[in-house]
Amino acid sequence: MENNLPQKKLHDTPGYKIVSAWFASNNMSPFAFQEEAWQHIINNQSGLVNAPTGCGKTFSVFLGAVINFINNNVDGYSKKKKNGLQLLWVTPLRALAKDIARAMEEVIAGLGMQWQIGSRNGDTPIAERQKQRRQMPEVLIITPESMHLLLAQKDYAEIFTSLKTIAVDEWHELLGSKRGVQVELAISRILGVTQATGMLSSRTERRSRECEGSAEQRIVNLWGISATIGNLEQARDVLLSPLKTHNSVIVRANIPKPIEVISVFPDEIEKYPWSGHLGIKLVHKAIEIINNSRTTLIFINTRGMSELWYQTLLKECPDLAGAIALHHGSIDMEMRTWVEESLHTGILKAVVCTASLDLGVDFRPVETVIQVGSPKGVARFLQRAGRSGHQPGEVSRIYFLPTHSLELVEAAALKAAKDINFIESRDPRILCFDVLVQYLCTLAVSDGFRPEEIFEEVRTTYCYRDITDDEFSQITHFITSGGTALQQYDEYKKVEVIDGLYKINSRRLAMRHRLHIGTIVSDPMLKVRFIGGGYIGMIEEWFISRLQPGDVFTLAGRTLEFVMIKEMTVLARKSSSKKSNIPSWQGGRMPLSANLGIMLRKKFNEAYLVTNDKKAQTDVEVKALEPLFILQQSLSHIPKEDELLIEHIETKDGYHLFVYPFEGRLVHEALGALLSYRLSRITPITFSFAMNDYGFELLSDRPIPLDDSNADELFSAENLLEDIQRSVNSAEMAKRKFRDIAVIGGLIFQGYPGEYKKARHLQSSASLLFQVFNEYDKNNLLLRQAYNEVMEQQMEEARLRDTLSRINNSKIVITFPKRLTPFSFPLKVDSMRENLSSEKLEDRVKRMQEQLSK
Amino acid sequence: MNASHQIKIKNQNLWLSSERCLYWEQEKALVLSDLHIGKTGHFRKAGIAVPQTIFKEDMHRLVSLIQHFSPSKLIVVGDMFHSYANKELELFTKWRGDFSSVDVKLVKGNHDILQKKWYSNAGIELFDSALTIAGFCFQHDPGECGMDEANKKKYVFSGHIHPGVTISGMGKQSLHFPCFYFTDTYCVLPAFSRFTGTVSIRPKEDDMAFAIVNNSLVRVN
Repeated sequence: MENNLPQKKLHDTPGYKIVSAWFASNNMSPFAFQEEAWQHIINNQSGLVNAPTGCGKTFSVFLGAVINFINNNVDGYSKKKKNGLQLLWVTPLRALAKDIARAMEEVIAGLGMQWQIGSRNGDTPIAERQKQRRQMPEVLIITPESMHLLLAQKDYAEIFTSLKTIAVDEWHELLGSKRGVQVELAISRILGVTQATGMLSSRTERRSRECEGSAEQRIVNLWGISATIGNLEQARDVLLSPLKTHNSVIVRANIPKPIEVISVFPDEIEKYPWSGHLGIKLVHKAIEIINNSRTTLIFINTRGMSELWYQTLLKECPDLAGAIALHHGSIDMEMRTWVEESLHTGILKAVVCTASLDLGVDFRPVETVIQVGSPKGVARFLQRAGRSGHQPGEVSRIYFLPTHSLELVEAAALKAAKDINFIESRDPRILCFDVLVQYLCTLAVSDGFRPEEIFEEVRTTYCYRDITDDEFSQITHFITSGGTALQQYDEYKKVEVIDGLYKINSRRLAMRHRLHIGTIVSDPMLKVRFIGGGYIGMIEEWFISRLQPGDVFTLAGRTLEFVMIKEMTVLARKSSSKKSNIPSWQGGRMPLSANLGIMLRKKFNEAYLVTNDKKAQTDVEVKALEPLFILQQSLSHIPKEDELLIEHIETKDGYHLFVYPFEGRLVHEALGALLSYRLSRITPITFSFAMNDYGFELLSDRPIPLDDSNADELFSAENLLEDIQRSVNSAEMAKRKFRDIAVIGGLIFQGYPGEYKKARHLQSSASLLFQVFNEYDKNNLLLRQAYNEVMEQQMEEARLRDTLSRINNSKIVITFPKRLTPFSFPLKVDSMRENLSSEKLEDRVKRMQEQLSK
Repeated sequence: MNASHQIKIKNQNLWLSSERCLYWEQEKALVLSDLHIGKTGHFRKAGIAVPQTIFKEDMHRLVSLIQHFSPSKLIVVGDMFHSYANKELELFTKWRGDFSSVDVKLVKGNHDILQKKWYSNAGIELFDSALTIAGFCFQHDPGECGMDEANKKKYVFSGHIHPGVTISGMGKQSLHFPCFYFTDTYCVLPAFSRFTGTVSIRPKEDDMAFAIVNNSLVRVN
């Protein structure tokens, strides 16, 4: 919507005067970027605020909405109650809602206004939701999933009749995920109902005429708030796409934040690094840091490792008991909230956490951050560093504690990336059919939808701007008739079409769909409770399925004995056993970012130079690894920036081929699939496959035919797509992608909470469904999406092409080390393995058996 | 159609088919398990769009097996039907009419929850816990084998668990297939329906397991 209204001067408005008086009475003054945002907001402009956490980014949009309200209600602003929803505040984490609400309430009280601040997410009690139904608060803080739940309510359009502003907080976190797509779709609908009054029910229309009056107020401002990412302009364009405006702004806070990065060095450099193990050995150094600091956050990459760290810290330093806590996504909400509160009040000395504490909330007492293991990306590292030293002018201090010695190079790379502000982009998702299927069913559950109207709206979003008529009608066909069927023997029932209105009429289906919205977690998670009652946390089903009653495991820092599973709940009792299983949770294995990869290759280049010339300049981290690099160089080679290193090594396991592109595990997986497919055209051969962020390994029972004569051809970018799709592994990878898609697209029903039995006979696994669709319905939209996601997300096709063209311009160095090298060792011991084969299945089985019987 | 593997138990000839069933020569009986008829329909009725082709092809496979072996009876060791009655079961009854000369004996599985009358109308003879013929006993859950004093000495044919087996080789390779599983006292049949997952079993030294690899059977131990 273009803005042709006269521009108001912020400083002349009554709203600004009242708000700045409140600032002055609190001995504060607004930041320049906040005033800039307010000016745009009162001019009804939309845009994006770029500010780090802890710098008043919330106020930049929230107070803009308040000023707007005061300006429009100069006389009665302090008395007016029940104004209807004014500001919809979208946040990715429900944990953030409480803190934001608290900050907003303080201001509202200070200004003497009557606004209510409400929140809506999975934890909102039913009574509160019903209250909101009768009277919406002026500000509603909401998660993307709950936005869709609002759209699943009857007469949802009425909620938005008074809405002036939509703010999407932490947009950088949502962008690039399917939850971001949920936000895009919900916004397109909200704008649709606020702009097209003709579509509203007559009751709504009457109401909106009474409340609104002038056309001016029908404009909804849309604001994103984002930390710095490489593609801020695009981030804004994605969010604002449904507005169809060319007149939007980016407001930058430009608040510099000094960050100090300190590496923790092991006393002795292991020449054969083994991932994960060194970290725990360095626990004493971590304790030293904790003791010398007020409050410390310890970021660990996986939930499983965080449990281990928590246990080890307590064991090595019993004094910490009671002053240290654990925080990760599978721990009971109440316990997490307690940890967060305690961080605020400063009673905790240290918290071991995962990405669960990456976002939002400021914990002022936090002085120090320890990053254990690779943060995988520059942006994440800087964000975590920023969790410390929150007061203006203070330095953020982050310690980098490697989990294997080679990771020290990453510390050097991160420092260099920080100095040149080399921050990753977040690529928006394109054409997520699963989310669209879910969204259309959501609309069908509430008031029903008309495809012609919704299609136009959906096409205004960035995600679906290229959707074709044909694709959209395939989706509507899928939800109404359920794909391939045996006509007269079919009873498929979901969305029904009555006079052109698409609607879900069955109450049971509607209820199930509502429960379903927001299920992004695909692996079945089980609740864990004490036998005597008391919720502990969540655990993945596949982990618990390997346990026998009596086995001991750790969750939320407690040692527990597994008793039994009852109706989707794991019952456990306390255990005093010294030995226990550490659960592992799937997912959350982020690949190394392209940016960090580039910096890393530069550092290896320096390592090469230093190893060959003592006088060369480099970082302390690279220097410290000298013994490792000397061994690598003597056995094989250290790749320079313009080289690709390949090692052929023979062990008793078979013939290994190690390749080191330093491009992150996902690109390595794709490269591995490509290379093995191309090798298999030379001769029928089967590989098992392992990868990490530095390289990948192909292992076979026969020599691998790669040498100087064919290396360039094997890494050529020609026929890239065809070759990858033909490689056996694309199905394997698609199968993994399909897990999420099947859940979001409504193919897997995870059961009613506490009503396990009623979902009778509807259980199936994503891998079974994948197999079924692959064999019987190849054209299924969701199946095709799985394959597309493999290309776009998994393979990161664009990045893969960049990688191949870089390799093509590099020198390929092939070595034949006599034994395992420091680079190859972590790959050799990595347990993540997959098979890649070009042989006939029957032949493979026969040969495997022959080998075993030898 | 492929039934290349013949095994002998208690002097009886049993032919294993890669189409997930076995043929008992002396008794002219086709023995199968876990057909889960009506499963796709049950899912679809609940708004879960699985392709119904699986059901169609399961039925076609059954027809070709009957044409190939010309059995006088079908012995189903449970989970012949997936859940409540639906239209897919109508297609089954129509099919049943075309093969009325074949006796169908069903040992009830945990999924067989239809009314007794339904089975008799469909020409299916129902056995609540077990069926014994000669030295053989047929029952659904292998875990309950040999519980019954009278059948203790009999060899048991069962289903229920949808057995699968993992084959591993050098270079840390591994593959997973549905399988037939024989111990010295009982056998577990693979699930007949293709719309079923598998549960891994680990054959012991004296056991026999046959993996179903595409259209052939491979002895894995």
